[in-house]
Amino acid sequence: MPLNFHRPSSLREAMDLKQDLGEACHFLAGGTDLMIQRNRGRKIVGAVVDLSRLRGLDRIEPLGDGLRIGALARMRALETDERVRILAPALAEAARVVGGAQVRHMATLGGNIANASPAADTVPVLLALAAFVVVLGPNGERRVPIAELLAGRGRTTLQAAEIITHVELPRPARGSAFLKAGRRKAMEIAVVNAAVSLELDAKGLIHAARLALGAVADRSLVVADAEAMMRGQAPSPELFKAAATLARDASRPISDVRASADYRRHLASVLTERALTLAHKRLVAATTGIPA
Amino acid sequence: MKAPLTLDVNGMRHELEVSGETTLLDALREELGLTGTKKNCLEAECGVCTVLLDGKAVNSCILLAHQCEGRNITTVEGLARPGSLSPLQQAFIQHGAVQCGFCIPGMLVTAQSYLDELDGRAPDRDEVREAIAGTLCRCTGYSKIVDAIEAEALRLNAARWEAC
Repeated sequence: MPLNFHRPSSLREAMDLKQDLGEACHFLAGGTDLMIQRNRGRKIVGAVVDLSRLRGLDRIEPLGDGLRIGALARMRALETDERVRILAPALAEAARVVGGAQVRHMATLGGNIANASPAADTVPVLLALAAFVVVLGPNGERRVPIAELLAGRGRTTLQAAEIITHVELPRPARGSAFLKAGRRKAMEIAVVNAAVSLELDAKGLIHAARLALGAVADRSLVVADAEAMMRGQAPSPELFKAAATLARDASRPISDVRASADYRRHLASVLTERALTLAHKRLVAATTGIPA
Repeated sequence: MKAPLTLDVNGMRHELEVSGETTLLDALREELGLTGTKKNCLEAECGVCTVLLDGKAVNSCILLAHQCEGRNITTVEGLARPGSLSPLQQAFIQHGAVQCGFCIPGMLVTAQSYLDELDGRAPDRDEVREAIAGTLCRCTGYSKIVDAIEAEALRLNAARWEAC
């Protein structure tokens, strides 16, 4: 099927093209999902507007104590960037298990969000890191919490000509962790994944706990019950076990070729407990200077 | 509709006319006759179509040719000078890493990208396995392929120490 290729030289031109070309026109960034869906005949792609060469949108830079990441930052860059590894280890971990090296050289952070797969690896991390997404549209820029962009399986609240330009991680998340269970170690879509982030107050009590799961609902799922339950508590194995139970209960997975719903609920619990334990170790290490 | 396209492949500039839906893989094979890059799954799962784009391994089956205008593409044919083999290719032969051979062009390009990124650091066998996870071989069980890549990485590491 014919495909018209467009390479705009600015975001403005990209938005204009998308508005003119309508429904069958898609923004193309890494292409690691769009092009596969097209090759399989699952998606009609009459035209693409290639965003992948827009300048400056792949930068990873400091933002206060946190980070500002361009939407075109590749998974490989997130995996290897020293600041990401220190300030948001969960994000580096998630980026590292997206596809093989080839896919990680192409796939972008903005694409992973816009694609809205319930099994996306970086999206639960962005939820657990309380990330904001900067979106540019014909009517200007807006900055929204990542959760507000997710509308269901493959669906976002992005308007037709809107483009994700940046992701902002407002606070450092040294006490964060990401774990993924697949049927094999590499090149695998998550059966379940879990991302957590912990912050402690001066007394060593949990000031904020954030927890999100992937592949257990129609979109990446924040486990608000567990977050509220942990707040103000002292971190302990018992507390993390209780949070894991809440994560299991909040999960609404399906059964499919990869796993049964029961097994996914079990994984939600196991991964939550392990990720909280790992995040806590990292936080202690970051605070005391003693490696985890 | 075909449109003009300039592609830089293995250090040579080519002026082509290709349609918007043409993948880089098809442009390499059908327009330039570079059939070392193989065609198989078309969904970035198997890695036989791997080429270097500005030095980094990518799946040419999910890249549009027009996306690659002005970028440097290296295929397996470009790893060595004509009539010779690259050190990595020689290591594959020495370690008996090739059986049917279909995955080998993609495997060599994937491994070259890893070695370039490694930049003389000491290799780690698990890291080598992880680096080639996106390129499948259904004959060898990978052991000899990993042996070959590891040996070449060790040679590059030793060469770096000698240069100090």
